[in-house]
Amino acid sequence: MSESGSPSVAAFLERAVEWLAANAERRPRGSQVRWGEGADRVALFRDTTAEDERAQVQAARSWQRTKFDAGYGAISWPVEYGGAGLTSGHEVAFRHLESEFVTPLIVEAVSISVSLEASTILALGTEEQKDRWLRPLRRGDELCCQLFSEPGAGSDLGSISLRASRAGDDWVLDGQKVWTSGAQFADVGYVVARTDAAAPRGRAFTAFLVPMDAPGIDVRPLRQMTGGTSFNEVFFDGVRVPDSARLGEIGGGWAAMMTTLAFERAGAAEGLGFSGTELVDRLVLTARKLGRSRDPMVRQRIAELYSRNRMRNWLADRAQARVDAGGLPGPEGSLSKLAYTRELQDAGDRAGSLLGPAMVADTGAWGTFAWSAFVCGVPGLRLGGGTDEIQKNTIAERILGLPKESR
Amino acid sequence: MSRTSTERPVRDELRDTVREFLARRAPMGEIRRRIATEQPYDPDVWALMSDQLGLTGLAIPDEYGGAGASWQELAVVVEELGRALLPSPYLAGVVLAGTAISCSDDEVCKKELLPRIAAGQLTAALAVLEDDGRWNAPIGLRAVPNGDGYLLDGHKSFVLDGHLADVLIVAARTARGASLFVVDGAGPGLIRTPLTTLDRTRPQARLEFAGVPARIISTEGGAGPVLARTFDLASIAAAADALGGAQRCLEMSIGYANERIAFGRPIGAFQAIKHKLADLLLEVEFARAAVERAALAAAQDTDEVPLLAGLAAAHCSQTYALVATENIHIHGGVGFTWEHDAQLYFKRAKSSQVLFGDAAVHRERVAAHLLDEPADAAG
Repeated sequence: MSESGSPSVAAFLERAVEWLAANAERRPRGSQVRWGEGADRVALFRDTTAEDERAQVQAARSWQRTKFDAGYGAISWPVEYGGAGLTSGHEVAFRHLESEFVTPLIVEAVSISVSLEASTILALGTEEQKDRWLRPLRRGDELCCQLFSEPGAGSDLGSISLRASRAGDDWVLDGQKVWTSGAQFADVGYVVARTDAAAPRGRAFTAFLVPMDAPGIDVRPLRQMTGGTSFNEVFFDGVRVPDSARLGEIGGGWAAMMTTLAFERAGAAEGLGFSGTELVDRLVLTARKLGRSRDPMVRQRIAELYSRNRMRNWLADRAQARVDAGGLPGPEGSLSKLAYTRELQDAGDRAGSLLGPAMVADTGAWGTFAWSAFVCGVPGLRLGGGTDEIQKNTIAERILGLPKESR
Repeated sequence: MSRTSTERPVRDELRDTVREFLARRAPMGEIRRRIATEQPYDPDVWALMSDQLGLTGLAIPDEYGGAGASWQELAVVVEELGRALLPSPYLAGVVLAGTAISCSDDEVCKKELLPRIAAGQLTAALAVLEDDGRWNAPIGLRAVPNGDGYLLDGHKSFVLDGHLADVLIVAARTARGASLFVVDGAGPGLIRTPLTTLDRTRPQARLEFAGVPARIISTEGGAGPVLARTFDLASIAAAADALGGAQRCLEMSIGYANERIAFGRPIGAFQAIKHKLADLLLEVEFARAAVERAALAAAQDTDEVPLLAGLAAAHCSQTYALVATENIHIHGGVGFTWEHDAQLYFKRAKSSQVLFGDAAVHRERVAAHLLDEPADAAG
């Protein structure tokens, strides 16, 4: 379905593939994994040096800029904000096509800024805010980090306690945020703060866009069990911002967060790290190399993992087809995320059964100890972006229509 | 794929028509009454299915008197029949025997049998399994040439509709290997004994052959590829049937969770029930996607059919058993009673789980695709 005047997805892809081929290498066809070749990392989180991480962020931003300037960075956005004015169908089709080329690694700090934060500002910002932020964020010139969770407010975002107090025409922010990806690279932070101590959560919060170099902001890296520091604590001590920094209405913070989380859910099926068969391919190669490919247990478990990966991808395609046909993105993203984390858990278990002690003690052999970083990352994926249990609540309440939690 | 997307509304209409027909003509009370008798099939429902709705001829090619629809449409019909738990000659005759005949290259046989099956005038059954109940086990039933035809000696077991069908399509062993034969259900030398089954909606029989006359389909030793292909397609049908039943069980569970009050609120308000149902929904949604993809591959006759048939059959048989079991559990004590419908779905699920090869057998086909080098496949 295309609106009158816009090209069909097929026509759009014809031009897109030419552009991609001119700007990136095609991935080799078939399994991308060759035993013993290249890096054997299969980790879920980046555990690199600060230097390497900075370089990866720069590479991701540079690619985003290249795409934006060629008309592929904001495909479904309005033209007035630098977009191509096409549909989400075009956007998704481009992403599928892009995955056939070798492009810089996806860095969460950049992808969150480019997709979730920029989309939120597009949805909720004033004209001034849209003029100030949309193009720089979408082009990767500036980065925005997301500041929702706090030590006392994880699944229960209704417990957010970071305070924004009125001070004349300004606001003063005091409190702490946690689990902030990319805060160390961000130029601006999208903060949700409590502005009414007594109101129910639907009216208690207000969102702000706060420059990350404002006096009183202290970013401290959080070390996770994989050894790396993908996340940060961010302390706000008397941080003063003008009212023009407010995103949305006073008391509109809960709605703003729900809008952003809806974008996250809609993108969940697309943006998941190992969406293809890379993990199964690795496990198949591992089984063969170890001479275990005739083992009935190994065969059954790998076949099951492969099957569930394919079914998850089919489900995501169906959800996308509904969106392309004019439907709204639904809560199906919760089903995808739940299925994804289970797949990751299972893949880690398979690796352990195949590799034995070589997974947990580094013998230097290719493709063995590398899995230990993967296994350590899985607990984080089951927690971030909505825990498994929150996903199940969402599925049960919003898809199955079961009674909401009593509060 | 534009072909799939434009035909989706047509399949949705077919689904609605079949579902509405079954709800009206084959309510559960009537099914329960019939399965307590020796004749579980309602001849009026069968006549309406073939004459009015054209379901018996739906996927039979039009050159043999059918409507020439694809496996995508057939899967929808099988799914709805599974959802309604209707006892019917459809699976054994139209799907299993009909598929075996269609997959052969014997035009004479196809022209003779398929139009009558399509018109609902001939019921049929496919007899492959023997005592060990495995699809690819060596065949014990022997066929020896006798004049223009053959005589069969031995036995078959676990034959769906074996004692009810007008005609039997039988796998027997000749000097040149596995072959398929047409046998008159009322023929001499054939003793057909109904078996007592867990699932009374699916009659099964043991067949004893003592010099039973048979006509060969195609040539001696030619049944291997036909049976392999039939098994793939039968697996997809089994998966579709399981999907229909699992979906119905899930809906029963959700309904009950919303209406049963305990500890001052509907039991669906508690996370134990909520989370269990969320998990079951994921499995059923996976099952739906798997059946759609396998049926599409069958409709397009791609080389992914064995892989996707195995994937769908493994997942769906497991899912049906899981959802049917949890459906009883969510219903509490009443779900355990004879009178409640949950136990009928449970028995269908448990029966299907083993009848067409259990999940491990189907998953092995997926494993072979992933792990076996072409050189291994010969072993």
